[in-house]
Amino acid sequence: MTARRTAARDRWVTLGVFMALAAAWQALSLVFTAEAQPGEPMVPGWQVLFSRTLLSMSDYFQGGFGIRPISEGGVRSYPAAVLSLLGNSADTLLRLAVGWLAGALAGTLLGLAVSWSAWSRRLVELPAQFLRTLPLLAMVPLFQLWFGSYFIGKVAFVAYGVGVLFFAGVVNAVGNVPQIHIDNARTLGAGQWRLYGSVVLPAILPELRATMLLSLGAAWAAVLGAEYLGAQSGLGYIIVFAQQFAFLDRMFLVALLIVVYTSLSFWAFDRLSAWATRWAPAAG
Amino acid sequence: MRRGAAGRFAAAVDPLRLAGPVLLAAAWWAMARALPPSLLPPPLAVLRRVAADFLAAPELTYYGLDNASLLGSLLYTVQNVVLAVALGTALGVVGGLLAARIALLRAVIDPMMLTAGTIPILIAAPFLLIWFGVGRGSAVALVVFNVAVVLYLFARRAAANLDPIHEAAARMLGATPAGAVRDVLLPGTVPEILGGLRIALAGAWGLEAIAELLGAQQGIGKVIEVLAGATDVEGIMAALLLLGAVAVVADALAAAAIRRLAPWTTPARLAAA
Repeated sequence: MTARRTAARDRWVTLGVFMALAAAWQALSLVFTAEAQPGEPMVPGWQVLFSRTLLSMSDYFQGGFGIRPISEGGVRSYPAAVLSLLGNSADTLLRLAVGWLAGALAGTLLGLAVSWSAWSRRLVELPAQFLRTLPLLAMVPLFQLWFGSYFIGKVAFVAYGVGVLFFAGVVNAVGNVPQIHIDNARTLGAGQWRLYGSVVLPAILPELRATMLLSLGAAWAAVLGAEYLGAQSGLGYIIVFAQQFAFLDRMFLVALLIVVYTSLSFWAFDRLSAWATRWAPAAG
Repeated sequence: MRRGAAGRFAAAVDPLRLAGPVLLAAAWWAMARALPPSLLPPPLAVLRRVAADFLAAPELTYYGLDNASLLGSLLYTVQNVVLAVALGTALGVVGGLLAARIALLRAVIDPMMLTAGTIPILIAAPFLLIWFGVGRGSAVALVVFNVAVVLYLFARRAAANLDPIHEAAARMLGATPAGAVRDVLLPGTVPEILGGLRIALAGAWGLEAIAELLGAQQGIGKVIEVLAGATDVEGIMAALLLLGAVAVVADALAAAAIRRLAPWTTPARLAAA
């Protein structure tokens, strides 16, 4: 069988597996009808998820577009529910994006600065290793005490998690640039700045692909962790708020949405980084 | 890069390398002088706090913790992580190797595992809290889940990377299918699997801690949670420092164990992790 036909078959199998999972969930909801509390099934079927559960998302709507939020006497409606999901998604995604960008930028710049000389590289090796080993998710409360539990606190936390990874990744990648490339450039008269611009930066890009994907995972974990432990909005906030009342159906709906977002973001990152390093021979 | 014992020793006592942590502590100390101690306590105060609370921390009993010492809380957390890593490794490796050999199984499990590998496992934490309660179970289940997914992917890839010529040669020389699994597949995949174990272990500490932060009766994460409620930055940093030290030691132990158990291992590329 050719590779392309195998890939096509695998796609159908993948689709089949996910359809089967969805069907199994529905079957389970029919068989296992226990309720976490009256009217709240432990295993909510799809008909519940996309009617009552979706409607209940209007509870987390903060108002706007001429629709009154529940807290001000509005009634549950599908437009409010959809707007609520969109608004909370936007909050989470904005924290994720700003935090990731800030962390990637700061980590890369610091990593490049440290790689300027072999001396500074040796100096930061152990501290960087220690900071990377510190369990990131355990540090949520510390960042909340330092930066508050609003936008800045979450962005700072995501940026820290991403920045540490990028810093270590850049220092490591610069260390792996073949010496002969550097020597050649120097022999041809390149100064330190020129060397960075036209040799080091392009050379480390392919190796940073792994760091980018890894840091995206860390950023998602960080933003969820921060929202679990104290937020006024966002998808993680809805999950934890619903958990306190054992609203399993709401948690499930929002978790599904997050799975869709993470899968899409990984797919987009993979394609983007593959495109950015398309000139490089297959590596890391 | 291969280095002899002498080279390793020279790298270990490289004064510039050792100056790094000192510099970090100095930077911390300088920042602590500029900020109020309630925001950033100096390093010495945090170390003193670790020493003071290590065996008995009476103030923690006021918050209703049964196990009111850093050591006791740490032991609880370490037990959970060790248990979860062992369970998750067994599940992930067996699943990954089986999937590598059986095409139908691979076609069914792979899509799920690849999806599970991209989503943050943390998303499962609130569900586990409802299903397993606030005891040991929910935290352990979260870490097991994560370790199993990581090791499944590593075992699967290791088996796929193994050149089929090794097994073909073994079979030609008269190895039974079971013998080929024992003598070719296992030794051939162990190095990469152990590399995955180190990565999974590194992630386990943070997941265990946040599972305890979200709901638990004891553990170092619970200590951090109650101290956060009291805005006790010094205490939080003491607990974090201790947890970080344990994570560093565990990683070093795992690396040493890998060198001893699988001496044929080529230095795995853990750089990106």
